[in-house]
Amino acid sequence: MPLTYPIAEQTLDNGLRVVVSSDRAVPIVAVNLWYDVGSRHEPEGLTGFAHLFEHLMFQGSRNVASGQHFSLLENAGASLNASTFFDRTNYFESLPSGGLDLALWLEADRMGYLLDAVNQENLDNQRDVVKEEKRQSYDNRPYGDSYERLVRLAFPADHPYAHMTIGSMADLDAASVEDVHAFFRKYYGPNNAVLTIVGDVSVEDAFDAAKRYFGHLPAIPQPPAAPDGTIGPLTEVHRDDVVSDVPSDLVTMMFRLPMDGTPELDAAGLALDVLAAGQSGRLNRRLVRDEQIAQSVSGGALPLIGGVSFGTLTGIASDGVDLQKVEDALLEEVEKLAEEGVTEDELATVQAQAERDWLEQLSTCAGRADEISHHALLFGDPNRINTRIDQVRAVTVEQVQAAAAQWIRAAGRVEVAYRRSENAGEQA
Amino acid sequence: MNQVLTTPPAVGAPRPWKFPEATTTTTSSGSPVHVFDRPGQYVATVRVTIAMPLLAEPRELEGVATIMSRTLDEGTELRSANEFAAALERHGAAYGVDVSSDALHVEISVPVSHLAPAVQLLAEAVTRPAFNQADVGRHVTIRLGEINQERANAGYRAREAFSGHLFDPSTRRSRPTAGTPDTIRPLTNAQVADFYRRNIGPERAQMLFAGDATGVDVAGIIDEAFGGWTSTAGTALDTPEPLYLVGNRVVLVDRPGSVQSQLLIGCAGPDRRDPAWGAAAVANHVVGGTITSRVDTVLREEKGYTYGTRTSFAAPRKGGTFSLGGAVRTEVTGAAIGDALRILREARDGLTEQEVQEAKDSLIRTAPLRYEQADSVAQQVGSNIANGVPIDFADTYLTQIAATTAAEASEAYRRYVGTDGLLVVVVGEAKEVRPQLAELDLGELIDVS
Repeated sequence: MPLTYPIAEQTLDNGLRVVVSSDRAVPIVAVNLWYDVGSRHEPEGLTGFAHLFEHLMFQGSRNVASGQHFSLLENAGASLNASTFFDRTNYFESLPSGGLDLALWLEADRMGYLLDAVNQENLDNQRDVVKEEKRQSYDNRPYGDSYERLVRLAFPADHPYAHMTIGSMADLDAASVEDVHAFFRKYYGPNNAVLTIVGDVSVEDAFDAAKRYFGHLPAIPQPPAAPDGTIGPLTEVHRDDVVSDVPSDLVTMMFRLPMDGTPELDAAGLALDVLAAGQSGRLNRRLVRDEQIAQSVSGGALPLIGGVSFGTLTGIASDGVDLQKVEDALLEEVEKLAEEGVTEDELATVQAQAERDWLEQLSTCAGRADEISHHALLFGDPNRINTRIDQVRAVTVEQVQAAAAQWIRAAGRVEVAYRRSENAGEQA
Repeated sequence: MNQVLTTPPAVGAPRPWKFPEATTTTTSSGSPVHVFDRPGQYVATVRVTIAMPLLAEPRELEGVATIMSRTLDEGTELRSANEFAAALERHGAAYGVDVSSDALHVEISVPVSHLAPAVQLLAEAVTRPAFNQADVGRHVTIRLGEINQERANAGYRAREAFSGHLFDPSTRRSRPTAGTPDTIRPLTNAQVADFYRRNIGPERAQMLFAGDATGVDVAGIIDEAFGGWTSTAGTALDTPEPLYLVGNRVVLVDRPGSVQSQLLIGCAGPDRRDPAWGAAAVANHVVGGTITSRVDTVLREEKGYTYGTRTSFAAPRKGGTFSLGGAVRTEVTGAAIGDALRILREARDGLTEQEVQEAKDSLIRTAPLRYEQADSVAQQVGSNIANGVPIDFADTYLTQIAATTAAEASEAYRRYVGTDGLLVVVVGEAKEVRPQLAELDLGELIDVS
């Protein structure tokens, strides 16, 4: 049965799509903007730019001083942030509903007039901050570069998903203020974004406020579409064997998967869940509980819109166990699933887990706003948030096996394996 | 028609807000049940919070409480570990445990439509665990592997060194909650079962539900599952006051290959028994609680040393801490510590009226956001129980904040931060960092490898 969250939509004259979901039961409102620019849009030499804007967008704009975006919203009781992904960038805040106008004004000022405040000084400063983010999130932690290695193996060099959102530090170092301005002018404008407002405001007031603050912003020339990333399943095995100072040996394998928004991707995601989700997943039962060759296993699908998605399976070897054993067991389970499929009970379990995840995601105004923006921007239909569970529930065991047989195979994978160097002693 | 507004629009007054109210009953076996009806929250959290001060662990078996907690669901009197997980997950439920220095929390989150069978399974784990040797042994092995992962994690190493050098060795909190290899490795299932028998029972437990209870007899479902629970464990021991080490000192933890230095700087702090708990939170917000606070304005926005740092006052039941944590690049470690200490010490000279007013607005106005989700209500109430304060302590806290003056916030801060010295922990490439530390006056240097 579909959910019943109300959805109202309007497109302003300048092309900004506005979606409103009123909920007067809570005293707060969530504002969420998705821009149709992610790392997949970045041409060679400009990797990391979409993410760099996630930083510059908080450094002030024409009428907002540096630091003021945060301080004005925090004083109004907001929780705020932004995130960058392969497919898009988003900017969001939740706050007591009396602050709705403030939030919209701040978002509009940086959508329209960010570049008044982007200069050499704050570019240099935020470039340093991004480098610290990369050191913290990738370089200074064990296995921190695994996804960088995997996407490089899983996709051709010029493929939109072959590089991570953090980008190349060399590209960032080479960026001039003019490069940064040009990137902004190309992608950031009302007709390349979705604005979602959820919570304690009437539909009429929300649309009025959206028009008041965003209505005067001019449309930008139609931005270039991201390069087409359509590509089929992997047909070979490519691996990257790393010897490094890691705490335990670890293997992660990656598979290409169908594009998001298709029943095939839902089926492939559920297949990976049967293997890797929860305590009752096949891999946890066999590798961790029964054979005790792994300390932990994990995995799942990462849905993407640009012609292909990907999914991963990871195992961390138990101390003293050869990583090859873990890899062999993972591959055996992969092949078994492709050849024999899943049981009705296994499928019902992962579907029930997906339903709980989805209901939790929608249980806050912020979470609902994010999914509304997501489905409006990438699929053109915010109402999909109400039918998402039905789509997942409609997947059959036959579809799961078919998706697994086509996409999740031992002979079509890439893999990174980390092993401790020979001379690394026992640490425990 | 559309005139561009060049100044920020006014913010309307927030609607009044109070922490959600509970309906409290008691199970047939004597445990309080607090039901928070949250309409529209279709995923409920059911949490069992059991008083379990770590003081109850024998010194040579530290970590037994953690292994016991992690094996509750790994086989019960009725089901194997695999059967239990399959049954619970088939209902769309997720199960988890958390061990703090004062309590054990066991919880499920589950769509309300599957509440009754999931609560039955929760009760089975809590009241009828099997503690088979195979399952306990497996968790001992997993914990030993986890210790290896922790040792490779700069943030974990910093927290471990901070606790180890902030608390006197006679205080349990000077050592890891989940035990060390020498105390974990010898654990047997008999010891785990014995710890359970002595420490877990209905006299020590409270049950929480948060979620949409429309048309559901939540208290009845919980009593049905837990009402028959019997145990010989009496009431829990009282947690003793911790003993702190004082003075300026720096602990340098060598982590070869590091490209950043993980910092943790701090000292003792208040706990919730202190009426200045709210004032301390206000001061923290000004000094280092957000990206616009005094510390990050310099370390991140002005100097670009870090992706971000945060300060916090934190406390279990008795005895709190103040700390500033973050990662900075190796070459500027000394400079960053110097700036951080200068800012922390200068804050003792007083916080401005404007800073304090803005911090109060932010802390008070974000409250409805913090407790929007059913699970966050359950988390808050569970930790209130563990910390020995009333279940609606969030209201007391907000009242304290609203009443805080700039002078009181400054005083609460000054009472703790920098008064008895500051402990500086650095986890990084020691050979690069040591010369940088020499230029600072940090007190005794303690090397850890």
